[in-house]
Amino acid sequence: MKVKKYILILIPVVFFSLPSWSLDSDKIQTNSEDFETSYNEDEIYDPLESMNRAIFNFNNVADKIILEPVAKGYRKLPSPIQSGVGNFLNNLKMPLVVINQLLQGQGGNAVETTGRFIINSTVGLLGLIDVAEKVGLEQKQEDFGQTLATWGVGDGFYIVLPIFGPSNLRDASGMMLTSITDPINAYAVTEGEGWIIPVKTATNAVNDRSKIIDEVNALRDNSLDYYAAVRSAYYQNRKAAIINDNDNTSMPLPLISIEFE
Amino acid sequence: MKLLSKIIFFIFLTTSQLYADEASDWLKIEVDFILEAYKNSEISNEKRFSMIENTVSYNFAGTGIAKHVAGGAWKNASKETKEKYVKLFKKHLALNIASIMQGYANQEYSLINSKYDSKNKVSLIDMNILTNSSSITITWRVKQSKERFYIIDLLVANISLVKTKRSDFNSMLKNVNNDLKIFSELLNKKNEESYNLLIN
Repeated sequence: MKVKKYILILIPVVFFSLPSWSLDSDKIQTNSEDFETSYNEDEIYDPLESMNRAIFNFNNVADKIILEPVAKGYRKLPSPIQSGVGNFLNNLKMPLVVINQLLQGQGGNAVETTGRFIINSTVGLLGLIDVAEKVGLEQKQEDFGQTLATWGVGDGFYIVLPIFGPSNLRDASGMMLTSITDPINAYAVTEGEGWIIPVKTATNAVNDRSKIIDEVNALRDNSLDYYAAVRSAYYQNRKAAIINDNDNTSMPLPLISIEFE
Repeated sequence: MKLLSKIIFFIFLTTSQLYADEASDWLKIEVDFILEAYKNSEISNEKRFSMIENTVSYNFAGTGIAKHVAGGAWKNASKETKEKYVKLFKKHLALNIASIMQGYANQEYSLINSKYDSKNKVSLIDMNILTNSSSITITWRVKQSKERFYIIDLLVANISLVKTKRSDFNSMLKNVNNDLKIFSELLNKKNEESYNLLIN
C-alpha cells in the first residue's frame, strides 16, 4: 500500500452548541496535500466483473423476492424455534469445524469444539439447545477457505456464485471441499436421502439471512454501487474470519483526520 | 528499577482504560439519544431524521471521513466542490447511520467491552445488539480531539462502514473519471432516494 505524506491543518475551533456547529462545519479549510489520496489501495482483483455483476443482479432479485421475505417470516417464529434451528444447524457443522481447526494447528480449539459437539448432541438434545455455551465452551467457526488461507493460499479472483453469492477462487474451492467432505451430506447420499442436502442448505441460508435483514437493507438502500459495497464487505468479513479477529484490534484503521472538525 | 517499570506499566494500563471508559460513557448517551428518537412515536419521521442527522453531524468526524472515502478524487477538486461534497457526505453518513440504527430500535443493547488502542490513540467500544435468537456486535472507533470525542468508524460484524463506503464511492468515482463535482450530483440523487426510503 502506497501511503503518501499528508499535512494536517489545525483549525482550533471549539464548538459549544449544536446549531452553531452545524453552520460552521461547512466552512472547512482544505489543502490538496492534507490527505492520503491513493487510487488503488482498496482494489480487489475482479477480472470477471461484468459477469459477476450480472449474476449479482440475478441474486439480488432472487433475494428480494424469495430469500428476504422467507427470512422475515422465519424471524417472526417464536424465539425458541429460531434458536433451536440455528443451534441444530451449527451443531451439524461441528465435525468439519474440528477438522479445519486441526488442519490449522488449533489443537485447543479443536478439543473445545469436540466438547461442544458431544455435549450439545447429547445433553443438548441433538444440538437443539446450546448447553455448551452455558458451560463456557464458546462457538468458533472454521472452514476450508480459512484453512487454505492459513496455509498461504491467496484469495484468487473475486467471483459471485449463482444463489450462493460473493466468494473468491479460494473460498469457492473451500466450499466445494466442505460439500464433498461433509459427513451429513455423505450419509444422505449413502442412504439414498439426497433431498436432505438442498433442504439443509436452504434452511442454513434462511437462518443466516434472518440474522442480517436490517444490515443488508441498510447497505442496499444507501449504496451508490451496491455491488462494490457487497464485494468490500465480503472481503472484510473473510479477512476477519481468517485472522480470527474477535475484537477488531487488528483491523486496519482508516486514516481519518479530525483536527479540522 | 523493576518496581518502577511495573508502576509505569500499571499507570499506563489504568490511564488507557480510563480513556476507554470515558469514551464508552459518552457513546452510550449518544446511542441512547438516537434509539430513543426511534422509540418516540409522537415525532414525525422527518423530525426524527433531523434529530439523528444533527447528532451524527456533531459526533462523527464527518469531514475527515468524507475526504478519506473520496480517495484520489479529493485532490483535484475545487474548494467549492469539496465544500458541497462534504455537506452531501454528512447527510449521506446520517442516512446510513439512521438506516442501521432503525433496525435496532426495538432491540436491547449493551456496551460489552471497551479498550484503548494507545498506538493509534483510538478507543474501541463493542456494543452487543440482542435479537430474538442471536446477537450482533458493533464496534465503534472513537478518537479524542480538542477535549471531546469523535466517532471515526463503525464496524458491524467486522465490516467497517468507512472502508465499505470508500470502496462504494471509488467504484462510482471511476465511472466519472474521479470528478468529484459530477460524483456529488450522483450522491445528491442517492441521498434523496435514501431519504425517501427512510421517511416513507
